[in-house]
Amino acid sequence: MEIRYRLHRPLPLAVAFRVEGFTALLGPSGAGKTTLLKALAGLLPAEGTPYAGLPPEKRPIGYLPQNAALFPHLTAWQNVAFALPQLRGADRERVARAWLHRFGLAHRAEHRPRELSGGEVRRVALARALARNPELLLLDEPTAGLDRPNRDQVLRAILYAVEEHGVRALVATHDLELAQAANRLAVLDEGRLLQSGPSEEVHQNPISLRVARLLGFENLIPGRVVGYRSPYVEVATRAGVLRALGNPMPQGTPAVLAVRPEEVLIVREDRPLHPRDAANTIAGVIRRLRRMGPVVEAEFEGPIPLLLRLPRHVQDRLELRPGEPRRVVLKPRYLQLFSEDEAASFSSD
Amino acid sequence: MIEVLLRSLLLAAASAGLLLLVGPLLAYLNRRAYPGRTLVESLLLTPIALPPTVLGFYLLLLFSPDGPLSRIGVPSLAFTFPGMVVGAALFSLPFAYTAYREAFRALDEDLLETARTLGAGRLRRAREVVFPLVWPGIVSGTLLAFAHALGEFGVVLMVGGNIPGKTQVASTYIYDLVEGLEFTAAHRASAIMLALAFALVYLTRALEERWRSATGSTDRSRSR
Repeated sequence: MEIRYRLHRPLPLAVAFRVEGFTALLGPSGAGKTTLLKALAGLLPAEGTPYAGLPPEKRPIGYLPQNAALFPHLTAWQNVAFALPQLRGADRERVARAWLHRFGLAHRAEHRPRELSGGEVRRVALARALARNPELLLLDEPTAGLDRPNRDQVLRAILYAVEEHGVRALVATHDLELAQAANRLAVLDEGRLLQSGPSEEVHQNPISLRVARLLGFENLIPGRVVGYRSPYVEVATRAGVLRALGNPMPQGTPAVLAVRPEEVLIVREDRPLHPRDAANTIAGVIRRLRRMGPVVEAEFEGPIPLLLRLPRHVQDRLELRPGEPRRVVLKPRYLQLFSEDEAASFSSD
Repeated sequence: MIEVLLRSLLLAAASAGLLLLVGPLLAYLNRRAYPGRTLVESLLLTPIALPPTVLGFYLLLLFSPDGPLSRIGVPSLAFTFPGMVVGAALFSLPFAYTAYREAFRALDEDLLETARTLGAGRLRRAREVVFPLVWPGIVSGTLLAFAHALGEFGVVLMVGGNIPGKTQVASTYIYDLVEGLEFTAAHRASAIMLALAFALVYLTRALEERWRSATGSTDRSRSR
Protein backbone atom coordinates (compact mmCIF):
# COMPACT_ATOMS: atom_id res chain seq x y z
CA MET A 1 0.00 0.00 0.00
CA GLU A 2 1.38 3.35 -1.08
CA ILE A 3 0.97 6.21 1.37
CA ARG A 4 1.27 9.81 0.23
CA TYR A 5 0.28 12.38 2.80
CA ARG A 6 0.75 16.06 3.28
CA LEU A 7 -0.45 18.23 6.14
CA HIS A 8 0.32 21.63 7.60
CA ARG A 9 -0.99 21.46 11.13
CA PRO A 10 -0.03 20.84 13.90
CA LEU A 11 3.28 20.53 12.06
CA PRO A 12 4.21 20.60 8.40
CA LEU A 13 4.62 17.05 7.16
CA ALA A 14 4.96 15.49 3.73
CA VAL A 15 5.69 11.80 3.21
CA ALA A 16 5.48 9.10 0.56
CA PHE A 17 6.31 5.51 1.40
CA ARG A 18 5.07 1.92 1.19
CA VAL A 19 3.39 0.01 4.00
CA GLU A 20 3.47 -3.78 3.70
CA GLY A 21 3.08 -6.32 6.48
CA PHE A 22 4.51 -4.92 9.69
CA THR A 23 6.03 -1.53 8.91
CA ALA A 24 7.80 0.36 11.68
CA LEU A 25 7.68 4.16 11.65
CA LEU A 26 10.83 5.23 13.45
CA GLY A 27 11.77 8.69 14.57
CA PRO A 28 12.68 10.83 17.58
CA SER A 29 9.94 12.42 19.69
CA GLY A 30 8.44 15.33 17.85
CA ALA A 31 9.29 13.90 14.43
CA GLY A 32 5.60 13.77 13.52
CA LYS A 33 4.89 10.07 14.03
CA THR A 34 1.70 10.58 16.04
CA THR A 35 0.63 13.38 13.71
CA LEU A 36 0.99 11.12 10.67
CA LEU A 37 -0.95 8.27 12.32
CA LYS A 38 -3.76 10.64 13.33
CA ALA A 39 -3.90 12.09 9.83
CA LEU A 40 -4.15 8.58 8.36
CA ALA A 41 -6.93 7.83 10.85
CA GLY A 42 -8.77 10.93 9.65
CA LEU A 43 -8.45 12.74 12.98
CA LEU A 44 -6.35 15.57 11.49
CA PRO A 45 -7.05 17.30 8.19
CA ALA A 46 -4.61 16.20 5.48
CA GLU A 47 -4.29 15.75 1.73
CA GLY A 48 -3.19 12.55 0.06
CA THR A 49 -3.89 8.92 -0.57
CA PRO A 50 -5.37 6.69 0.67
CA TYR A 51 -8.60 7.77 2.39
CA ALA A 52 -8.13 11.55 2.34
CA GLY A 53 -11.47 13.27 2.61
CA LEU A 54 -13.15 10.37 4.39
CA PRO A 55 -14.21 10.88 8.03
CA PRO A 56 -12.59 8.50 10.56
CA GLU A 57 -15.84 6.55 10.84
CA LYS A 58 -15.63 5.56 7.17
CA ARG A 59 -11.93 4.64 6.94
CA PRO A 60 -10.99 0.95 6.92
CA ILE A 61 -8.38 1.47 9.63
CA GLY A 62 -7.78 0.42 13.21
CA TYR A 63 -6.22 3.12 15.38
CA LEU A 64 -4.51 2.69 18.75
CA PRO A 65 -3.37 5.88 20.47
CA GLN A 66 -0.48 5.61 22.88
CA ASN A 67 -2.62 4.75 25.90
CA ALA A 68 -4.70 2.32 23.78
CA ALA A 69 -7.90 4.19 24.80
CA LEU A 70 -9.97 1.30 26.09
CA PHE A 71 -13.34 2.53 27.33
CA PRO A 72 -12.90 2.49 31.12
CA HIS A 73 -16.59 1.86 31.83
CA LEU A 74 -16.74 -1.28 29.69
CA THR A 75 -15.30 -4.75 30.28
CA ALA A 76 -12.75 -6.25 27.89
CA TRP A 77 -15.35 -8.07 25.79
CA GLN A 78 -17.68 -5.05 25.76
CA ASN A 79 -14.79 -2.96 24.48
CA VAL A 80 -14.35 -5.37 21.58
CA ALA A 81 -18.11 -5.51 21.04
CA PHE A 82 -18.09 -1.73 20.57
CA ALA A 83 -16.44 -2.38 17.19
CA LEU A 84 -19.24 -4.77 16.16
CA PRO A 85 -22.38 -2.60 15.99
CA GLN A 86 -23.75 -4.61 13.07
CA LEU A 87 -24.25 -7.63 15.39
CA ARG A 88 -26.90 -7.94 18.08
CA GLY A 89 -27.15 -9.50 21.53
CA ALA A 90 -25.64 -12.95 21.98
CA ASP A 91 -24.00 -12.95 18.55
CA ARG A 92 -22.18 -9.77 19.33
CA GLU A 93 -20.87 -11.10 22.63
CA ARG A 94 -19.83 -14.43 21.07
CA VAL A 95 -17.83 -12.77 18.30
CA ALA A 96 -16.24 -10.28 20.73
CA ARG A 97 -15.17 -13.09 23.06
CA ALA A 98 -13.79 -15.08 20.12
CA TRP A 99 -11.54 -12.11 19.27
CA LEU A 100 -10.26 -12.00 22.85
CA HIS A 101 -9.66 -15.74 22.69
CA ARG A 102 -7.48 -15.31 19.60
CA PHE A 103 -5.30 -12.91 21.55
CA GLY A 104 -5.06 -15.27 24.53
CA LEU A 105 -7.34 -13.09 26.65
CA ALA A 106 -10.46 -15.24 27.02
CA HIS A 107 -9.93 -15.36 30.79
CA ARG A 108 -9.82 -11.56 31.03
CA ALA A 109 -13.09 -10.96 29.16
CA GLU A 110 -15.04 -9.81 32.22
CA HIS A 111 -12.37 -7.43 33.50
CA ARG A 112 -12.41 -3.66 33.27
CA PRO A 113 -9.38 -1.93 31.71
CA ARG A 114 -8.08 -0.75 35.09
CA GLU A 115 -7.78 -4.37 36.21
CA LEU A 116 -5.67 -5.35 33.19
CA SER A 117 -1.90 -5.09 32.81
CA GLY A 118 -0.40 -2.65 30.31
CA GLY A 119 0.24 -5.46 27.82
CA GLU A 120 -3.27 -6.83 28.19
CA VAL A 121 -4.76 -3.39 27.63
CA ARG A 122 -2.86 -3.08 24.35
CA ARG A 123 -3.89 -6.55 23.24
CA VAL A 124 -7.57 -5.94 24.02
CA ALA A 125 -7.29 -2.71 22.02
CA LEU A 126 -5.69 -4.65 19.14
CA ALA A 127 -8.49 -7.21 19.24
CA ARG A 128 -11.03 -4.37 19.22
CA ALA A 129 -9.34 -2.67 16.26
CA LEU A 130 -9.12 -5.92 14.28
CA ALA A 131 -12.75 -6.81 14.97
CA ARG A 132 -13.71 -4.12 12.48
CA ASN A 133 -11.72 -5.88 9.80
CA PRO A 134 -9.50 -2.95 8.84
CA GLU A 135 -6.98 -3.02 6.02
CA LEU A 136 -4.50 -0.86 7.91
CA LEU A 137 -3.64 -0.82 11.61
CA LEU A 138 -2.17 2.41 13.00
CA LEU A 139 -0.37 1.76 16.29
CA ASP A 140 1.18 4.60 18.27
CA GLU A 141 4.06 3.43 20.51
CA PRO A 142 2.32 0.15 21.38
CA THR A 143 5.16 -0.99 23.65
CA ALA A 144 5.89 2.30 25.43
CA GLY A 145 6.15 1.86 29.18
CA LEU A 146 5.81 -1.93 29.11
CA ASP A 147 8.10 -4.37 30.84
CA ARG A 148 9.78 -7.09 28.82
CA PRO A 149 7.16 -9.89 29.05
CA ASN A 150 4.32 -7.48 28.31
CA ARG A 151 6.26 -5.97 25.45
CA ASP A 152 6.95 -9.35 23.91
CA GLN A 153 3.27 -10.28 24.20
CA VAL A 154 2.27 -7.11 22.38
CA LEU A 155 4.86 -7.74 19.68
CA ARG A 156 3.56 -11.30 19.18
CA ALA A 157 0.01 -9.95 19.01
CA ILE A 158 1.02 -7.49 16.29
CA LEU A 159 2.78 -10.23 14.33
CA TYR A 160 -0.26 -12.48 14.77
CA ALA A 161 -2.55 -9.78 13.40
CA VAL A 162 -0.28 -9.21 10.42
CA GLU A 163 0.45 -12.86 9.63
CA GLU A 164 -2.92 -14.49 10.39
CA HIS A 165 -5.29 -11.73 9.38
CA GLY A 166 -3.33 -10.23 6.53
CA VAL A 167 -3.71 -6.72 7.88
CA ARG A 168 -0.98 -4.13 7.32
CA ALA A 169 0.35 -2.48 10.45
CA LEU A 170 2.06 0.89 10.57
CA VAL A 171 3.69 1.05 13.99
CA ALA A 172 5.15 4.30 15.33
CA THR A 173 7.91 3.52 17.79
CA HIS A 174 11.34 4.35 19.05
CA ASP A 175 11.76 0.85 20.40
CA LEU A 176 14.62 -0.42 18.22
CA GLU A 177 13.98 -4.05 19.06
CA LEU A 178 10.39 -3.69 17.95
CA ALA A 179 11.62 -2.05 14.76
CA GLN A 180 13.96 -4.96 14.13
CA ALA A 181 10.99 -7.31 13.96
CA ALA A 182 9.38 -5.21 11.22
CA ASN A 183 9.25 -6.13 7.54
CA ARG A 184 9.71 -2.56 6.46
CA LEU A 185 11.03 0.61 8.03
CA ALA A 186 10.17 4.23 7.46
CA VAL A 187 12.39 6.75 9.25
CA LEU A 188 10.75 10.09 9.94
CA ASP A 189 12.31 13.27 11.26
CA GLU A 190 10.94 16.81 11.42
CA GLY A 191 8.01 15.91 9.23
CA ARG A 192 10.16 14.47 6.45
CA LEU A 193 10.88 10.90 5.50
CA LEU A 194 14.62 10.28 5.75
CA GLN A 195 14.58 6.72 4.44
CA SER A 196 12.19 3.86 3.88
CA GLY A 197 12.44 0.34 2.57
CA PRO A 198 12.74 -3.29 3.61
CA SER A 199 13.94 -3.50 7.18
CA GLU A 200 17.21 -5.35 6.44
CA GLU A 201 18.15 -2.90 3.73
CA VAL A 202 17.61 0.16 5.92
CA HIS A 203 19.43 -1.43 8.86
CA GLN A 204 22.45 -2.33 6.77
CA ASN A 205 22.52 0.79 4.67
CA PRO A 206 21.32 3.85 6.49
CA ILE A 207 21.53 6.66 3.97
CA SER A 208 22.59 9.33 6.41
CA LEU A 209 24.22 9.79 9.75
CA ARG A 210 20.89 10.91 11.18
CA VAL A 211 19.21 7.69 10.14
CA ALA A 212 22.15 5.68 11.44
CA ARG A 213 21.89 7.32 14.86
CA LEU A 214 18.15 6.63 15.00
CA LEU A 215 18.87 2.99 14.13
CA GLY A 216 21.24 2.53 17.04
CA PHE A 217 24.65 3.35 15.59
CA GLU A 218 25.78 4.84 18.88
CA ASN A 219 29.53 4.91 18.24
CA LEU A 220 30.54 7.76 15.94
CA ILE A 221 34.18 8.19 14.95
CA PRO A 222 35.13 11.43 13.15
CA GLY A 223 38.00 11.37 10.66
CA ARG A 224 39.26 12.29 7.19
CA VAL A 225 39.38 10.23 4.01
CA VAL A 226 43.01 9.46 3.14
CA GLY A 227 42.74 6.95 0.32
CA TYR A 228 40.90 4.20 -1.48
CA ARG A 229 41.97 0.61 -1.82
CA SER A 230 39.14 -1.29 -3.50
CA PRO A 231 36.70 -2.03 -1.98
CA TYR A 232 37.74 -0.04 1.10
CA VAL A 233 37.80 3.63 1.83
CA GLU A 234 40.62 4.46 4.22
CA VAL A 235 39.81 6.97 6.92
CA ALA A 236 42.35 8.54 9.25
CA THR A 237 41.00 8.75 12.79
CA ARG A 238 42.47 9.22 16.23
CA ALA A 239 42.66 5.42 16.35
CA GLY A 240 44.77 5.30 13.17
CA VAL A 241 43.65 4.53 9.64
CA LEU A 242 40.43 2.49 9.60
CA ARG A 243 38.90 0.82 6.56
CA ALA A 244 35.23 0.92 5.69
CA LEU A 245 33.27 -0.33 2.70
CA GLY A 246 32.26 2.52 0.42
CA ASN A 247 32.69 4.39 -2.81
CA PRO A 248 35.87 6.34 -3.52
CA MET A 249 35.93 9.81 -2.05
CA PRO A 250 38.32 12.69 -2.59
CA GLN A 251 41.25 12.74 -0.23
CA GLY A 252 40.78 15.00 2.75
CA THR A 253 36.96 14.68 2.81
CA PRO A 254 35.71 14.98 6.40
CA ALA A 255 33.94 11.75 7.30
CA VAL A 256 32.27 9.94 10.18
CA LEU A 257 32.40 6.21 10.80
CA ALA A 258 29.41 4.77 12.66
CA VAL A 259 29.17 1.41 14.36
CA ARG A 260 26.59 -0.28 16.60
CA PRO A 261 27.64 -1.22 20.15
CA GLU A 262 26.56 -4.79 19.29
CA GLU A 263 29.02 -4.86 16.39
CA VAL A 264 32.18 -3.75 18.14
CA LEU A 265 33.94 -7.07 18.78
CA ILE A 266 36.55 -8.01 21.37
CA VAL A 267 39.61 -9.61 19.75
CA ARG A 268 40.24 -13.21 20.83
CA GLU A 269 44.02 -13.13 21.17
CA ASP A 270 44.18 -16.93 20.85
CA ARG A 271 42.71 -16.82 17.37
CA PRO A 272 44.13 -15.32 14.20
CA LEU A 273 42.29 -12.30 12.78
CA HIS A 274 41.31 -12.25 9.14
CA PRO A 275 43.72 -9.91 7.30
CA ARG A 276 40.75 -7.90 6.08
CA ASP A 277 39.90 -7.03 9.69
CA ALA A 278 43.40 -6.85 11.13
CA ALA A 279 43.89 -3.23 10.04
CA ASN A 280 40.83 -2.20 12.03
CA THR A 281 41.93 -3.23 15.50
CA ILE A 282 42.24 -0.73 18.33
CA ALA A 283 44.05 -1.28 21.63
CA GLY A 284 42.69 0.14 24.86
CA VAL A 285 41.30 -0.62 28.27
CA ILE A 286 37.91 -1.88 29.44
CA ARG A 287 36.67 0.79 31.83
CA ARG A 288 33.24 -0.11 33.06
CA LEU A 289 30.92 -3.12 32.78
CA ARG A 290 27.18 -2.97 33.22
CA ARG A 291 24.96 -6.00 33.31
CA MET A 292 21.62 -5.27 31.60
CA GLY A 293 19.62 -8.49 31.75
CA PRO A 294 20.93 -10.89 29.12
CA VAL A 295 23.25 -8.20 27.75
CA VAL A 296 26.47 -6.74 29.11
CA GLU A 297 27.45 -3.19 28.25
CA ALA A 298 31.15 -2.32 28.30
CA GLU A 299 32.91 1.01 28.01
CA PHE A 300 36.14 0.79 26.09
CA GLU A 301 38.76 3.51 26.44
CA GLY A 302 41.51 3.84 23.89
CA PRO A 303 42.49 6.53 21.40
CA ILE A 304 38.71 6.76 20.92
CA PRO A 305 36.00 5.82 23.41
CA LEU A 306 33.64 3.05 22.31
CA LEU A 307 30.50 1.49 23.73
CA LEU A 308 30.20 -2.29 23.41
CA ARG A 309 27.19 -4.49 23.97
CA LEU A 310 27.64 -8.22 24.13
CA PRO A 311 25.39 -11.14 25.00
CA ARG A 312 26.02 -12.53 28.48
CA HIS A 313 27.21 -15.88 27.15
CA VAL A 314 29.96 -14.09 25.23
CA GLN A 315 31.02 -12.23 28.36
CA ASP A 316 31.01 -15.53 30.27
CA ARG A 317 33.55 -16.84 27.75
CA LEU A 318 35.67 -13.67 27.51
CA GLU A 319 35.54 -12.76 31.19
CA LEU A 320 36.13 -9.06 30.63
CA ARG A 321 37.21 -7.18 33.74
CA PRO A 322 37.34 -3.45 34.40
CA GLY A 323 40.87 -2.06 34.00
CA GLU A 324 41.93 -4.88 31.72
CA PRO A 325 43.79 -4.04 28.47
CA ARG A 326 42.02 -5.45 25.41
CA ARG A 327 41.88 -5.01 21.67
CA VAL A 328 38.64 -4.46 19.78
CA VAL A 329 38.03 -4.90 16.09
CA LEU A 330 35.73 -2.78 13.93
CA LYS A 331 34.99 -5.09 11.01
CA PRO A 332 34.70 -3.07 7.80
CA ARG A 333 31.31 -4.52 6.95
CA TYR A 334 29.86 -3.22 10.22
CA LEU A 335 31.32 0.27 9.74
CA GLN A 336 29.09 2.80 8.05
CA LEU A 337 30.86 5.65 6.33
CA PHE A 338 29.26 9.09 6.07
CA SER A 339 30.84 12.10 4.48
CA GLU A 340 30.93 15.88 4.14
CA ASP A 341 27.58 17.50 4.90
CA GLU A 342 26.69 14.78 7.35
CA ALA A 343 30.02 15.13 9.06
CA ALA A 344 29.35 18.85 9.24
CA SER A 345 25.93 18.32 10.78
CA PHE A 346 27.50 15.90 13.22
CA SER A 347 30.00 18.43 14.47
CA SER A 348 27.36 21.15 14.71
CA ASP A 349 25.28 19.29 17.31
CA MET B 1 -42.96 23.65 59.72
CA ILE B 2 -43.76 20.80 57.32
CA GLU B 3 -45.13 23.24 54.77
CA VAL B 4 -42.01 25.40 55.00
CA LEU B 5 -39.73 22.38 54.69
CA LEU B 6 -41.62 21.13 51.65
CA ARG B 7 -41.34 24.56 50.04
CA SER B 8 -37.58 24.50 50.69
CA LEU B 9 -37.27 21.06 49.10
CA LEU B 10 -39.39 22.15 46.14
CA LEU B 11 -37.28 25.29 45.70
CA ALA B 12 -34.06 23.22 45.82
CA ALA B 13 -35.43 20.65 43.39
CA ALA B 14 -36.71 23.25 40.93
CA SER B 15 -33.49 25.27 40.91
CA ALA B 16 -31.31 22.13 40.67
CA GLY B 17 -33.56 20.92 37.84
CA LEU B 18 -33.16 24.24 36.06
CA LEU B 19 -29.38 23.95 36.37
CA LEU B 20 -29.49 20.36 35.11
CA LEU B 21 -31.20 21.67 31.96
CA VAL B 22 -28.64 24.33 31.07
CA GLY B 23 -25.48 23.54 33.10
CA PRO B 24 -24.16 20.43 31.30
CA LEU B 25 -24.65 22.14 27.94
CA LEU B 26 -22.65 25.16 29.14
CA ALA B 27 -19.91 22.88 30.48
CA TYR B 28 -19.81 20.90 27.24
CA LEU B 29 -19.54 24.06 25.14
CA ASN B 30 -16.75 25.38 27.37
CA ARG B 31 -14.82 22.09 27.15
CA ARG B 32 -12.44 23.51 24.57
CA ALA B 33 -10.75 26.87 24.66
CA TYR B 34 -12.12 29.70 22.50
CA PRO B 35 -11.49 33.43 22.62
CA GLY B 36 -13.48 34.79 25.52
CA ARG B 37 -13.90 31.54 27.41
CA THR B 38 -12.25 32.98 30.51
CA LEU B 39 -14.68 35.89 30.44
CA VAL B 40 -17.72 33.62 30.05
CA GLU B 41 -16.57 31.25 32.80
CA SER B 42 -15.81 34.15 35.14
CA LEU B 43 -19.35 35.46 34.65
CA LEU B 44 -20.79 32.02 35.41
CA LEU B 45 -18.67 31.73 38.56
CA THR B 46 -19.11 35.31 39.86
CA PRO B 47 -22.04 34.46 42.18
CA ILE B 48 -19.55 32.53 44.34
CA ALA B 49 -17.92 35.80 45.40
CA LEU B 50 -21.06 37.93 45.41
CA PRO B 51 -22.94 38.78 48.60
CA PRO B 52 -26.31 37.06 48.19
CA THR B 53 -27.97 40.38 48.94
CA VAL B 54 -26.27 41.96 45.93
CA LEU B 55 -27.47 39.22 43.59
CA GLY B 56 -30.93 39.46 45.19
CA PHE B 57 -30.93 43.23 44.79
CA TYR B 58 -30.15 43.11 41.08
CA LEU B 59 -32.70 40.36 40.54
CA LEU B 60 -35.34 42.44 42.30
CA LEU B 61 -34.57 45.36 39.99
CA LEU B 62 -34.75 43.00 37.00
CA PHE B 63 -38.00 41.37 38.15
CA SER B 64 -39.83 44.45 39.49
CA PRO B 65 -43.14 45.46 37.83
CA ASP B 66 -41.42 48.42 36.16
CA GLY B 67 -38.16 46.53 35.52
CA PRO B 68 -36.69 45.69 32.11
CA LEU B 69 -38.33 42.24 31.97
CA SER B 70 -41.80 43.68 32.54
CA ARG B 71 -41.23 46.12 29.73
CA ILE B 72 -40.81 43.24 27.28
CA GLY B 73 -43.95 41.54 28.59
CA VAL B 74 -42.57 39.09 31.16
CA PRO B 75 -44.83 39.01 34.27
CA SER B 76 -43.10 40.30 37.40
CA LEU B 77 -41.30 37.61 39.39
CA ALA B 78 -40.54 39.79 42.43
CA PHE B 79 -41.71 38.16 45.70
CA THR B 80 -42.87 35.01 43.89
CA PHE B 81 -41.79 31.39 44.10
CA PRO B 82 -40.60 31.21 40.45
CA GLY B 83 -38.47 34.31 41.12
CA MET B 84 -36.86 32.52 44.06
CA VAL B 85 -36.17 29.49 41.86
CA VAL B 86 -34.32 31.65 39.35
CA GLY B 87 -32.37 33.38 42.14
CA ALA B 88 -31.39 30.13 43.88
CA ALA B 89 -30.38 28.59 40.55
CA LEU B 90 -28.13 31.54 39.70
CA PHE B 91 -26.60 31.42 43.13
CA SER B 92 -25.92 27.67 42.93
CA LEU B 93 -24.69 27.86 39.36
CA PRO B 94 -20.96 28.06 40.26
CA PHE B 95 -21.16 24.83 42.27
CA ALA B 96 -23.04 22.87 39.65
CA TYR B 97 -21.06 24.32 36.78
CA THR B 98 -17.70 23.49 38.37
CA ALA B 99 -18.71 19.86 38.85
CA TYR B 100 -20.13 19.61 35.31
CA ARG B 101 -17.02 21.18 33.87
CA GLU B 102 -14.73 18.75 35.69
CA ALA B 103 -16.79 15.83 34.41
CA PHE B 104 -16.35 16.95 30.80
CA ARG B 105 -12.72 17.92 31.26
CA ALA B 106 -11.89 14.47 32.65
CA LEU B 107 -13.24 13.01 29.42
CA ASP B 108 -10.22 11.66 27.54
CA GLU B 109 -10.18 13.03 23.99
CA ASP B 110 -8.42 9.83 22.86
CA LEU B 111 -11.53 7.84 23.79
CA LEU B 112 -13.75 9.94 21.55
CA GLU B 113 -11.27 9.87 18.68
CA THR B 114 -10.80 6.12 18.97
CA ALA B 115 -14.57 5.65 19.08
CA ARG B 116 -14.75 7.51 15.77
CA THR B 117 -12.15 5.22 14.20
CA LEU B 118 -14.25 2.28 15.42
CA GLY B 119 -17.11 3.55 13.30
CA ALA B 120 -19.17 5.28 16.01
CA GLY B 121 -21.05 8.36 14.80
CA ARG B 122 -21.92 11.38 16.93
CA LEU B 123 -25.01 9.81 18.50
CA ARG B 124 -23.30 6.53 19.47
CA ARG B 125 -20.35 8.44 20.89
CA ALA B 126 -22.66 10.60 23.00
CA ARG B 127 -24.76 7.66 24.19
CA GLU B 128 -22.11 4.98 24.70
CA VAL B 129 -18.99 6.92 25.59
CA VAL B 130 -19.71 10.47 26.79
CA PHE B 131 -22.86 9.86 28.80
CA PRO B 132 -21.65 6.83 30.81
CA LEU B 133 -18.47 8.69 31.71
CA VAL B 134 -19.93 12.09 32.63
CA TRP B 135 -23.22 11.22 34.33
CA PRO B 136 -21.73 10.67 37.80
CA GLY B 137 -20.20 14.15 37.64
CA ILE B 138 -23.48 15.62 36.49
CA VAL B 139 -25.41 13.87 39.25
CA SER B 140 -22.96 15.02 41.90
CA GLY B 141 -23.02 18.60 40.61
CA THR B 142 -26.80 18.64 40.62
CA LEU B 143 -26.94 17.19 44.13
CA LEU B 144 -24.52 19.86 45.30
CA ALA B 145 -26.65 22.57 43.70
CA PHE B 146 -29.71 21.05 45.38
CA ALA B 147 -27.99 21.09 48.78
CA HIS B 148 -26.79 24.64 48.27
CA ALA B 149 -30.22 25.90 47.21
CA LEU B 150 -31.78 24.15 50.21
CA GLY B 151 -29.66 26.27 52.55
CA GLU B 152 -29.82 29.52 50.60
CA PHE B 153 -30.84 32.53 52.66
CA GLY B 154 -29.85 35.91 51.25
CA VAL B 155 -31.13 35.63 47.69
CA VAL B 156 -34.41 33.98 48.65
CA LEU B 157 -34.97 36.63 51.33
CA MET B 158 -34.37 39.47 48.88
CA VAL B 159 -36.26 38.02 45.92
CA GLY B 160 -38.94 36.12 47.86
CA GLY B 161 -39.51 38.51 50.71
CA ASN B 162 -40.08 35.78 53.35
CA ILE B 163 -43.86 35.90 52.98
CA PRO B 164 -45.37 33.19 55.25
CA GLY B 165 -47.42 30.68 53.28
CA LYS B 166 -46.03 31.96 50.01
CA THR B 167 -42.29 32.47 49.82
CA GLN B 168 -41.12 31.52 53.30
CA VAL B 169 -38.58 28.66 53.25
CA ALA B 170 -36.71 26.81 56.01
CA SER B 171 -33.79 29.22 56.23
CA THR B 172 -35.91 32.36 56.45
CA TYR B 173 -38.38 30.58 58.76
CA ILE B 174 -35.59 29.76 61.23
CA TYR B 175 -34.43 33.37 61.06
CA ASP B 176 -37.94 34.49 62.04
CA LEU B 177 -38.06 31.95 64.90
CA VAL B 178 -34.74 33.11 66.35
CA GLU B 179 -35.76 36.72 66.02
CA GLY B 180 -38.98 35.88 67.89
CA LEU B 181 -36.91 34.07 70.59
CA GLU B 182 -38.66 30.76 69.83
CA PHE B 183 -35.55 28.68 70.47
CA THR B 184 -37.22 25.27 70.89
CA ALA B 185 -38.82 25.47 67.45
CA ALA B 186 -35.60 26.92 66.02
CA HIS B 187 -33.65 23.97 67.47
CA ARG B 188 -36.00 21.43 65.93
CA ALA B 189 -35.96 23.03 62.49
CA SER B 190 -32.19 23.56 62.57
CA ALA B 191 -31.53 19.94 63.52
CA ILE B 192 -33.58 18.77 60.57
CA MET B 193 -31.66 21.08 58.21
CA LEU B 194 -28.33 19.91 59.65
CA ALA B 195 -29.21 16.26 59.09
CA LEU B 196 -30.46 16.95 55.58
CA ALA B 197 -27.38 18.94 54.61
CA PHE B 198 -25.01 16.30 55.94
CA ALA B 199 -26.88 13.47 54.22
CA LEU B 200 -26.80 15.29 50.89
CA VAL B 201 -23.12 16.14 51.00
CA TYR B 202 -22.29 12.61 52.15
CA LEU B 203 -24.30 11.14 49.29
CA THR B 204 -22.48 13.36 46.81
CA ARG B 205 -19.06 12.38 48.10
CA ALA B 206 -19.94 8.67 48.18
CA LEU B 207 -21.12 8.87 44.58
CA GLU B 208 -17.90 10.55 43.53
CA GLU B 209 -15.84 7.83 45.23
CA ARG B 210 -17.80 5.05 43.58
CA TRP B 211 -17.52 6.71 40.22
CA ARG B 212 -13.77 7.10 40.56
CA SER B 213 -13.21 3.47 41.55
CA ALA B 214 -15.52 2.19 38.80
CA THR B 215 -13.78 3.90 35.91
CA GLY B 216 -10.36 4.98 37.09
CA SER B 217 -7.91 6.43 34.67
CA THR B 218 -7.57 5.11 31.14
CA ASP B 219 -3.83 5.51 31.10
CA ARG B 220 -2.69 2.01 31.99
CA SER B 221 0.87 1.99 30.78
CA ARG B 222 2.14 0.52 34.01
CA SER B 223 2.53 -3.22 34.22
CA ARG B 224 1.96 -5.46 37.17
